[in-house]
Amino acid sequence: MRTTSKFLTSIAAIALIFSSCEKDHSGHVHNDEEVMTTLTYTLTAENADTVALKFLDLDGEGGTEPTITGGTLQANTTYAGSFEILNETETPAEDVTLEVKAEEDEHQFFFENTGNVAIAYADTDSNGKPVGLKTTVTTGDVGSATITVTLRHEPNKLAEGVSDGDITNAGGATDISVTFPITVE
Amino acid sequence: MQEVQQIYPLLSLSQLNKFLTLLILFSAILSTKAQDCTYFIKGSISDKGTLLPLSDVNIFVKETSKGCYTDDKGLYSIYNLCKGEYHIVYSHIGCEPKQIHIDLKGDTVLNIDLAHTINTLGTIHLDDNKTGHVTQPTVSINKKTIENNLTKNLGGIIENQTGVSLLKNGSSIAKPIVHGLFGNRLTIINNGIVQGGQQWGKDHGPEIDPFSSNKITIIKGVNAISYGGGNLGSVIIMESNKISSDPHLHGHMNYAYETNGKGNNLNIQLEKGSEKLAWRVNGTLKQYGDKNTPDYFLKNTGIEEANFSIQLQKNWNEKLYTNFYASTFNTKLGVLRGSHIGNLTDLEEALTREVPFFTEEDFSRDISAPMQKVAHHLAKIDATYLLSDHQKLEFVIAAQQNNRREFDIRRGDRTDLPMLSLLQNTFSSDIRYISEPENTWAISIGNQNIITDNTNDPETKTSPLIPDYLSFKSGLFAIASKKKNALDINLGLRYDMEYQNIVAIERTVPRTIKRYTNNFHNISGVSSFKFNLKKNQSILFSSGLATRNPGINELFSKGVHHGVSAIEDGDVNLKTEKAFKNTLEYNWAPSSKFKLNALVYHQNFENYIFLKPQDEMKLTIRGAFPYFKYEQTDAYIYGFDFSSEIKIINTLQGVVRYSFLRGKDVSNNEPLISLPSNNLHGSIKYQVNRSFNVSQNIRAEELEISIDNKTVFKQTNLLDSQDYAPAPETYNLFGLKISSRLVLPKHYVNCYIRIENLFDVAYREYLNRHRYFADDIGRSITFGMNFKF
Repeated sequence: MRTTSKFLTSIAAIALIFSSCEKDHSGHVHNDEEVMTTLTYTLTAENADTVALKFLDLDGEGGTEPTITGGTLQANTTYAGSFEILNETETPAEDVTLEVKAEEDEHQFFFENTGNVAIAYADTDSNGKPVGLKTTVTTGDVGSATITVTLRHEPNKLAEGVSDGDITNAGGATDISVTFPITVE
Repeated sequence: MQEVQQIYPLLSLSQLNKFLTLLILFSAILSTKAQDCTYFIKGSISDKGTLLPLSDVNIFVKETSKGCYTDDKGLYSIYNLCKGEYHIVYSHIGCEPKQIHIDLKGDTVLNIDLAHTINTLGTIHLDDNKTGHVTQPTVSINKKTIENNLTKNLGGIIENQTGVSLLKNGSSIAKPIVHGLFGNRLTIINNGIVQGGQQWGKDHGPEIDPFSSNKITIIKGVNAISYGGGNLGSVIIMESNKISSDPHLHGHMNYAYETNGKGNNLNIQLEKGSEKLAWRVNGTLKQYGDKNTPDYFLKNTGIEEANFSIQLQKNWNEKLYTNFYASTFNTKLGVLRGSHIGNLTDLEEALTREVPFFTEEDFSRDISAPMQKVAHHLAKIDATYLLSDHQKLEFVIAAQQNNRREFDIRRGDRTDLPMLSLLQNTFSSDIRYISEPENTWAISIGNQNIITDNTNDPETKTSPLIPDYLSFKSGLFAIASKKKNALDINLGLRYDMEYQNIVAIERTVPRTIKRYTNNFHNISGVSSFKFNLKKNQSILFSSGLATRNPGINELFSKGVHHGVSAIEDGDVNLKTEKAFKNTLEYNWAPSSKFKLNALVYHQNFENYIFLKPQDEMKLTIRGAFPYFKYEQTDAYIYGFDFSSEIKIINTLQGVVRYSFLRGKDVSNNEPLISLPSNNLHGSIKYQVNRSFNVSQNIRAEELEISIDNKTVFKQTNLLDSQDYAPAPETYNLFGLKISSRLVLPKHYVNCYIRIENLFDVAYREYLNRHRYFADDIGRSITFGMNFKF
């Protein structure tokens, strides 16, 4: 029994030592390099106001809900569209657009629209395949519309229909998938 | 352990001496070359379980390459042996082969008992030193079965046992499930130590080389009190046995080639017994390329693995025995390329595809992202000190290091950076006192301490799913057991405390750190009663209460779980989970020709922790993600395991196994998900009892042919809303195996050809996450050889 009680005491002692122990941590916070917090789709036209469609989720995936800002486009007008993607968890904000640009042959935007909006590619990668960082947006008659922007990483750009903007056979992983509400006036 | 029952010379020692002296003189006179080879070894062989004689046992003397079989009364005799050292191998259909080393000095009687390969049936009683008397349902897998499954991982070796299934992530990652529980709820004991590592992950297989073990035991119990580790009933125990006292260098070289994946598997073991220091080394190498379904290759599903272990054993004196064991396990596992998805839409698209994205026409050995690289190292020292004939102290200290790095397809040049990189150091100690006096209560008491230090490597450049933490666990247990003829009783009690210190990263911008401290207290208890009835029947009733505090992942997970494409949030307010399990087992072995085992169990959970799919989706820049939160509910699981073994004639053996399992979430009134499907398994094995001359110097013996069939029924205990895709249909797989021992002069080689999924059936398994993307593995042929010396 004496062994047992000694034994118990030593365990209690060990337990005590450890319950005053803390996980060492240099205090450094992991940099979330790959997060995309902000997507801005800027539409400019010669005879119309510039429209900025924006998706903003400052704390990254999960946590608080993102805010989505739609826009009003002028009917029967041709806009030049360009994307900007930012990681604003870092200061200063990191421009993710540059990363996509650097790997343009591994990325492609796809567009799915409802209403009187049509989007065409206005850029190509080094293989002559579309990327979609630059686009041409043409509006039709008055009405409400939506634009769903999808960015695929490592799609098969050679698959049937993909270079025409058809996502069906693209594969790859989705990096961005955002829907903007649009009003055409 | 089955041992030689009797070794006694027919002549007395003094007679023998005289005889030998005369003999030497005589032979010296007649010739200097001729050796007198007139000795014999005779004996009888019986079944260890039933003590009935075993006929058709093959006896093989390695040094002379001579062999024979036992007759109907289990008797054998080998004549014309010379004086000297021999290694004799006894083997029989359905039994574990036994090798005996003998220094032959005269005519000798060797009576042997052979243990049944209990992998087919539950043994009721496990005489394990570490636990005193374990009276809980168990199944064991012996060395022969382990060796013959060189192409498999731990999960693959144990999967066909009743009550055991696998949670898989493709063909290479398999987590064992016992009676419906896995991960945090199922403890794996490797060489007496609770296996460390990131056991919580559904896509994290246990990092153990099963080929360094001699025996794998699965306790399908109500609570393995003496092991701790947070188990809620069942435990998997991997053991390497004591190094034999045979003073010669022995070992084996085991090689297998598998057609599916063009895999090469090599395992080499060497050992040498000695009075001073006995040693054993074990090494395993594996390399696989892409596996294939009946119709296409599974891109990026290769494996590379290299493992090594060393064991040193020393008897200091009659009282003190020490053992050192160190092992290293290193693996690189490819994850199906087409299973890498970005969001729910991608998953839905993948579900509609017949053939996964990225499938290629050609076979490849390349492994790239997504993949896992995991290393697990272990070092331990254990000591046993005999206090008296029936009392002893056991002491173990161990250190483990687990480094898990998971790679994904990433933007920029970050694909070379892991998405998850965790380093876990574990230190553990175990001390126990065991007293086993005859005819009264046996007692064992002990304490275990485990310190776990878990750190995320910032190299990932992502927010970690699991925070950095330090945990300290300490537990005390006491077990009392009594063994009588008609009744065995086993009572046990355990207390555990766990202290956790967590450094969590908050979701604020900019990110900040918040510290948490938790203290948990857990109580467990068990009682079992085994009634030994007439005619080799027994009934075993066990009931046990176990508690488990929430794990770090359940408390603190936060963010996207890559690989499963879901957002998972822990809950810091989770309470301790309680489980109450009852098992009732019936065993009947009227003769060596028939055995039967039936087990029913029921486990009730209070505050069962699970990932509950939330009604809302989480909207992210990558689109909608399914959102899961760790919640608690009341639930139960019940099931039935059945197995039977019949020897139709002495050389023809049939085995049938059936497992049934159901679970229900009582609070939410819906089925409990991720539970194994019911399955039925049958096999027939035929042994040809004659030798064939392959060539002048090569003889084939012990030719065995076996056919097995496995039916896995569709999981119907599931609502459509609980899964992305309906459960796969029932599937049925055939297997065929032909094995033989090739006898060469002075050596022998065991060879086998095994065909799995004989008819190349395309199927998907409910508990394999890759079923969303691709079919399971098609036909595979393995050519194996095992050379022992």
